[in-house]
Amino acid sequence: MEWAELIGRVAAHGDRGAFKLLFEHFAPRVKGFLVKTGMSADAAEEIAQMTLLTVWRKAAQFDPASAGAAAWIFTIARNLRIDSARAAARRAKAAVNAERDETPEVALSPETMMSRSDDVSRVSAAIQQLSDEQSTVIRMSFIEEHPHGEIAERLGIPLGTVKSRIRLAMARLKDLLDD
Amino acid sequence: MTINHHPPEDLLADFAAGRLDEADRLVIGVHAAQCPNCQRFIAAIEQLAGAALEQAAPVAMADDAFATIMAAIDEPKTASTPAPTSSQPVPLLDDDLPEMLRRCRFAKSRRVAPGVKMQPIVLPGADKSRAFLLWSAPGTRMLEHSHTGTELTLVLKGSFSHQGGEYRPGDFDFGDGEVDHQPLVGSDMPCLCLVAMSGDLQMHGWLGRLISPFVRL
Repeated sequence: MEWAELIGRVAAHGDRGAFKLLFEHFAPRVKGFLVKTGMSADAAEEIAQMTLLTVWRKAAQFDPASAGAAAWIFTIARNLRIDSARAAARRAKAAVNAERDETPEVALSPETMMSRSDDVSRVSAAIQQLSDEQSTVIRMSFIEEHPHGEIAERLGIPLGTVKSRIRLAMARLKDLLDD
Repeated sequence: MTINHHPPEDLLADFAAGRLDEADRLVIGVHAAQCPNCQRFIAAIEQLAGAALEQAAPVAMADDAFATIMAAIDEPKTASTPAPTSSQPVPLLDDDLPEMLRRCRFAKSRRVAPGVKMQPIVLPGADKSRAFLLWSAPGTRMLEHSHTGTELTLVLKGSFSHQGGEYRPGDFDFGDGEVDHQPLVGSDMPCLCLVAMSGDLQMHGWLGRLISPFVRL
């Protein structure tokens, strides 16, 4: 069973069995992902729960043609993490300034960012053209947020090579995606 | 609209990963909303992030996590408060702004220097950087300056130029401590920019040093 299909069943008729499968697969991974990027286990648990709740509520907005299920769920978790950081900052400032702030979140969701399917297939094709080495350094540096020194150690390559590999990977991705 | 100047790739990747400070995120977001190239780049990083999420080592959820979510689902949904629309408490430097900016809250605009006005954007989550609209009269020559932090600039209207080239609507300019420039605003119309800035400007030349205490951005 494809994850995208399960999200479709949640959207179409609130299929709780399908949702449970999504929960069992993705909730622990969202939590693990967040813990890995330095979040406390409690905070990660809360965001992972909210992420799955949002998957249920926004299932109808998921467009399998525009993003993979995992990428879509990543953006939900990312936006919730941003929201929670903003809320914390707002509470800290509200202690000083009682004025209430209603500024909405500006993080872009994939459904607003990517709508044209020709763009979507270009993105997938570009990623497939990256070498494993290139996608690994992008993932470690930007997504898992490891410092360059740590990446060098883990991959057993010099620091300078890490930096140049990241630079080349980003430039290649940009080249593949630019008009 | 032809966009010739884009944000550096690492800023786009940090945006996609959700790691940017709020002010920087706003400027990148407004640029990306107008720029298909950068949208695709961001989507690519999101795809890679999805693959990383798929491969992340699972950490067990709390025993009652699923029950908690199902209880929230069965709760009657509280009506979410609609986003405030165009009820700005203060007049804007320009009423014709991109949608993402219209949803922001602004503080009062003020004069910075002759022919230059700025209007701060209220961002409660902004940590290191601040965001504002910068309005400059046609032909304004900004003082030669560099930065102690970073300066992200998106042209909304009009144009300016410096050593890096000419910047028109949709174009993005990145400045940091290594950049020393003196932008000149195009002479045909005022220039409106969205700016996210961290650190301070450092003015150069005797005039810059003389007036820098008065130029607060």
